[in-house]
Amino acid sequence: MPPLDPASPSASPSGEASALLALSSRAPKLELSTLDLCFLATLYLRGQSSGHSAFSEEQLFEHFEQAAQVVERDPSSVRKRATHAIARLRAQRLLSRVDGAGLMRAGEYALSRLGASIVSFFLEEEVLTAETLTLLTRTLESSLRDVLVRAGAATTAAELDDAVVGPLKVTVHELMEGIERRQRGLDLQQEQFQKEISALLSADWFGAVESCQTLLESTAATLRDLNHVLLSESHRLQAQLEDLQELASKTNASSAEEAIRRAADQIDRIAAWSAGRQKSWSDYYQYVHRFLRDVVRLDPSRALTARLRDQLSGKSGKRFTLAVASTPAPLLLRDVAPSPERPPVKRPRAERDTPPSEQAAVDPFAVLEDSVRQKLDAGAASLRDVTAQVTAELPEEERFRAAGRVAQVVARLARTRSERERPWLPVDEAFAIEEWTLPRKGGAAG
Amino acid sequence: MSMETNQTFEDLAQVVEHELFPDVDLALRRGRHIDREDAAWYGFLTDAQAMLERFYRRYGAELVQRTDGFFFLLPSGDKLGRRHLSPSEMLVGQGLTLLYLEPATVEQGGITSRDQLLSQLSASMGTEQLMLAFNAKKKRLDERVAQEMVRSGVSQAVRRLAGLGFVDLLPEERIRLRSSLMRFAEPVRGSGADLEALTRLVASGEVALTESDDDAPAGDDAFSPSAEADSSPDAAPAPLPGWSEGSEWGASFDQPEGDVDPALRTLPKPETPDSDSDSDSDSDSDSDSDSDSDSDSDSDSESDERGSEEPSS
Repeated sequence: MPPLDPASPSASPSGEASALLALSSRAPKLELSTLDLCFLATLYLRGQSSGHSAFSEEQLFEHFEQAAQVVERDPSSVRKRATHAIARLRAQRLLSRVDGAGLMRAGEYALSRLGASIVSFFLEEEVLTAETLTLLTRTLESSLRDVLVRAGAATTAAELDDAVVGPLKVTVHELMEGIERRQRGLDLQQEQFQKEISALLSADWFGAVESCQTLLESTAATLRDLNHVLLSESHRLQAQLEDLQELASKTNASSAEEAIRRAADQIDRIAAWSAGRQKSWSDYYQYVHRFLRDVVRLDPSRALTARLRDQLSGKSGKRFTLAVASTPAPLLLRDVAPSPERPPVKRPRAERDTPPSEQAAVDPFAVLEDSVRQKLDAGAASLRDVTAQVTAELPEEERFRAAGRVAQVVARLARTRSERERPWLPVDEAFAIEEWTLPRKGGAAG
Repeated sequence: MSMETNQTFEDLAQVVEHELFPDVDLALRRGRHIDREDAAWYGFLTDAQAMLERFYRRYGAELVQRTDGFFFLLPSGDKLGRRHLSPSEMLVGQGLTLLYLEPATVEQGGITSRDQLLSQLSASMGTEQLMLAFNAKKKRLDERVAQEMVRSGVSQAVRRLAGLGFVDLLPEERIRLRSSLMRFAEPVRGSGADLEALTRLVASGEVALTESDDDAPAGDDAFSPSAEADSSPDAAPAPLPGWSEGSEWGASFDQPEGDVDPALRTLPKPETPDSDSDSDSDSDSDSDSDSDSDSDSDSDSESDERGSEEPSS
């Protein structure tokens, strides 16, 4: 599987996920003992010194034996262990057969790219120095100049893409990766220096001062030189890339523009690394220098640490406490804002209870009497007629009660006569009354 | 900003008018130690040192500069308030100083962590003694609760020391150690006897002796995780010196002296009228409940936590 280019679209989260999935489905793993690594290293170094990258089986056994003697000093059953080691390395694709002869004859083997990378990581002294950086940047500049010449000759977008994209991806990219790889090497070296300074002080407190200062100075000088080289070189490289970018823009060569932009980003990253490392190392440099000057030189026998430890544990010394100034923060009084006037709480002045007013009372009996009088005047001939007419205006439930009052009023206002046989006649469907006739004045009764 | 302001001050008025003066002045009065990490402030103090020394002397305070590369203000009179660090702050400060002196810390550029601090304290004092130091009020100690009290107490003390400029607090509980921590090692510094340096520092008012553990009343340094962390060690404002005929009168008489060097007299014990009958008993009855219950009685010891205040007169 090709490695992921961080700047390529496949480096997006979904692309990363699919790449990881593909990798995990193959379940790769590496298991290497020290002897295995040393064996690979022997092959790597022998390959470099002899100029041959392939080894016969006999050579493999021989190199394994040499590695085993150095690492384990145990020459017993070397051939058998070599057989297992070669099988193990082949299974892990660190060593591959390159002759293709199969059964016909004994094979030839070479380190795979993976095996060579692992060994070079452990062996390589590739840290960035001013010399290597200058060499690399000069080569880079020369490559960019060639690209610029070819791009200048291109007349179409396709021609310019051909002239720019390939060289930038291969030559320029490889060179810049070389710089970045050496930067990582220098980072590792700095980390080692920090550990080394600590170890030197632990081993020989006062005696380590000089060696610590030498380490600090050498790294500081390296970083200073690197920063100087990068500052001057990166400007030139960026200028060349800007010229290329201008040509690409004129011809609308989008692929070339993209490749140029990525190269420019990479150069920016390299320059930023240099500035960042110099800053952090400068801080560390100052800190360690102060430590050496204020602590180590003033306390060459580490007596201070011992006394302070005894003090803390209560083994010796009187307990004490430090005095410090302790003035409270000044009080800032708030501006007084006048509170708004609030109306006093009062009872409402208006009387809640309205005084009673006189209203004309309606006498229901008088109303009834008027009504009866009107019916009589209208010529009603019997009590049933009067009662029926008066109670017809009333609600049904009041008619029976009103009938008695009608009879009383009729008896008072008019002459009444009843038969010997007093007939009971219905007024409506609800009740009946005893019938009286009402004779007219001066005439026969109705 | 560069450390040196490269400014020469003709008189005090120029110093006071400088833009950095208010911040530096307030920081010094609040007990802040200013070292080379505070590049601008340190440069300003270096440039204006002579004038500021005279300025603060009028307040009865000394602007002290150490060869380790830091300044601090030491009030000796009664015009500016001062306080003494609490026992817990002293323990943690000494532990941090030990870490500052360790070669292993040099590898990290002077950065350590709370875990390393706890480990240092535990290794130097012993776990039992460390737990006792932070749980002095407790009659019965539940190990889990006691350890929690130590952790929270140490964190609280570190925060207060950060407020005084002894350390910087970084993310993820990391701590940057500063050169002003060397104040904690000052009394044991030098080639002579410890007592000599200590006597000198006590006489200058920079250090005060405290009671020994045996004499110390219970609860001098009990921690309360629930106690409000106060990174600004503000003390009560120092009252203005008033007319005190009684105290002034007779001040010129010789004081009765014992055999003890006056410089080595210890600070008076804090008043703890009912330190034995505190409410600790009920909290300890259920030590598993939570740390809140354990700390219910610690509010009265908050003043101890902040160290002893020394208001003037």
